[in-house]
Amino acid sequence: MNKKYIFGGVIVTVFLSMMIYLFTQSNIQYESDFVKVKEKARMIKATGSWVKEKNYDFNKESKQLTFYMKDTQGEEMRVVYDGTLPNNFEIATSIVVTGKYENGTFHAKDILTKCPSKYQDQKTQANS
Amino acid sequence: MKAAFALLKKDLASEVRTRYAINSLGMFIVVVVSVILFSIGDEKITDYLTGGLFWVVVFFTSMSGLSRAFVSEEERGTTLTLQLIARPESIYSGKFFFNVALIFSMNLIIALLFSFFFEMFIFKNILLFVCAFIIGNIGVAASSTIIAAIISKAGSKGTLYPVLAFPILLPLILTLIELTKQSMDGNSISESSVELAVLFCYDVVMVASAYLLFDFIWKD
Repeated sequence: MNKKYIFGGVIVTVFLSMMIYLFTQSNIQYESDFVKVKEKARMIKATGSWVKEKNYDFNKESKQLTFYMKDTQGEEMRVVYDGTLPNNFEIATSIVVTGKYENGTFHAKDILTKCPSKYQDQKTQANS
Repeated sequence: MKAAFALLKKDLASEVRTRYAINSLGMFIVVVVSVILFSIGDEKITDYLTGGLFWVVVFFTSMSGLSRAFVSEEERGTTLTLQLIARPESIYSGKFFFNVALIFSMNLIIALLFSFFFEMFIFKNILLFVCAFIIGNIGVAASSTIIAAIISKAGSKGTLYPVLAFPILLPLILTLIELTKQSMDGNSISESSVELAVLFCYDVVMVASAYLLFDFIWKD
């Protein structure tokens, strides 16, 4: 009788801890290195900045937004998004796109923009 | 093991005779799917939303059907006889197999209805969805059997099941919705192996802990 509880308890704890570990792994991960983004063919959150020299293009017929992003190392990639331009896109300091890299383009399902802080100037004044 | 199959046979026979669970589940599925269809109207809903709705329907159908497993014994007054003639493990196994059979038939009907009525309910990788469907159904059956055993002893049987089932089924439902999304995107099985492993671990944990805890619930 006692053996059953020990054996069962071991099974439950081992698989429960495995499940919790895997559950944290299964969430969509952030990646700021585009070389790795291009290698992995799965849903990912890629962070980088918009390449202003290559302007964005909005196709009115297919309602598709196309633009280029680069990471901190300067690696560029083409991003396609089905939808309109998000707010504050031009002034954003960094962009997070959620999606999958396929056949040379990153198909984004969602775009998040990070804007420059309003309080940055005041803070530098206070420091100096 | 022999006693478990005898119990399964007995449950199936009494189900064929009374058709209690089949009738109530069938009506529930028809009502829910038609309510969803009416509320959508001409609106186009996305594929992800359809996948989510599918598992919502599965969750609530399991609530109305699977919670009956031990309540029916309690109502007929056959609990004491069962306690006398069979060991707790075999009773749990019998009820578990019966719930597995019930949930597989009912989810197949829901899936067929969904693929018939919703044009967005299409999978680029159907094999991944089938894998998730099978492992997920076993998980739902395992946890709802043990919850049904708990609530059969309690006073307010109807309301207690969703309260207990929600936190236990939540990780399962979340993973299943994620897997449904991925099979709609056309991920291969190896790409979604992490989620499938989570489902498998959930099944093992639920079955193992149910076997350990059922003694205490059953003997009172």
